[in-house]
Amino acid sequence: MRGQQNSVPGSEGAHPNGRHQAEAAGGPVVVQTPDRRLSGRALDLREWTGTDVDAEGLVAAVRRNQGDSDEAPADEGAVSDPKEAKAEAEVEEAAVEHPVAVACPDPGPAHEYVGLVEPGMALRVRTALAAGARSRGLSAPQDEDLASVRTELADLTVPEADAAAARERLAGTESAVTAGRERVATIRGRIQAARDRGRETDDLREELRAAARKLSEIETEHAAAREALEQAERRAREARDARERRRRLEDRAANLARAARSHLVDALREEYVTALAAVPGSDRTGDPGGEEPFDADPVSAALAVGRVAQLRAPVVLAVDRFASADAAADWLDAPVVRV
Amino acid sequence: MVRRFGRVALLSETAFAAFQALRLRAKHGSDIQIERTEPFNEFETLDEEVRVAAAAYEDRETPSLPYAAFAARNDHPEPDELRDREL
Repeated sequence: MRGQQNSVPGSEGAHPNGRHQAEAAGGPVVVQTPDRRLSGRALDLREWTGTDVDAEGLVAAVRRNQGDSDEAPADEGAVSDPKEAKAEAEVEEAAVEHPVAVACPDPGPAHEYVGLVEPGMALRVRTALAAGARSRGLSAPQDEDLASVRTELADLTVPEADAAAARERLAGTESAVTAGRERVATIRGRIQAARDRGRETDDLREELRAAARKLSEIETEHAAAREALEQAERRAREARDARERRRRLEDRAANLARAARSHLVDALREEYVTALAAVPGSDRTGDPGGEEPFDADPVSAALAVGRVAQLRAPVVLAVDRFASADAAADWLDAPVVRV
Repeated sequence: MVRRFGRVALLSETAFAAFQALRLRAKHGSDIQIERTEPFNEFETLDEEVRVAAAAYEDRETPSLPYAAFAARNDHPEPDELRDREL
């Protein structure tokens, strides 16, 4: 069971993730304010009185690392000097804009949910546990379909379509054509009458030519306006089809995401229940089957998810569940900043 | 079929579409209502004041304001007057 589908080697450790301490520790965490600095795997900032450092600010600083630091090194000893120098430069740069800067490995998928543990927190436990599974490299059978549906959604464009201008152009052209035809017929009648009476018809013929020219112009415009409206309506139809298609794809993506989450939750359910029973300071008893584990208090649930997940960026801890930051880091098998 | 709206469908204007509609009518009798629709062109059929009133009302600042009150306040045609006007 342990380390199932998990590519991390070495499952002999005491921690349920079966990872070595040194590996989980990653690079050292460096927390820095304009006048203070701490580094290590388990940091306690509670003695930093009179600074602007609060839990939210710290977590934000941890998450600012996203994407701008390299993969965590395999162990602390592997940190090369240039890399450390780079990290320090980043810390100093960041400290200019923010009261506190943190240098640490990239927060993974679980950090978003359990990277801050504080009293009164809310937690969507299943979503968090699924992210914890992701953090350990687990995948769901729906992933491929979900990715392709999302690609399809991203590629789907709904054309802009407004037929109002085309309708306005067409309006009145039909009655203008009718009026033009009537006028041509009237003049023809007058020419016939003049001819019957043996009168001169040259002026009337000129009038007829002018009316026929005008009619032909109106007919051309009418045909063009009708064609333009048909095109605009075709585009509007395409837009409606595209919107319908988008709605179906969004439904499908949501269903796949739900199924994937449920698969990932099932994969870690047992480990989570075991971790939850071991959370220190929880009012739950050691009977994991006794209560619905996903209804646990959010702090205990977050700690249990944190223990099950692989966390390389530090967890910001604002609760009194552990004797020390070190104890918390050992229990979670993750870097910890206690505030 | 061009489009479905719940229990309503819009068919293209072909004899085949008419054939399908008549099949339904043959099967379900007068439960099937078949109408031939005509595209609506508001620039052809309507006075400008009605178009302006519709656009202005949909753009109103207080969503709960009924149209009758809106019309009286902003000098748009009254709903009863509109009901009596034929297209």
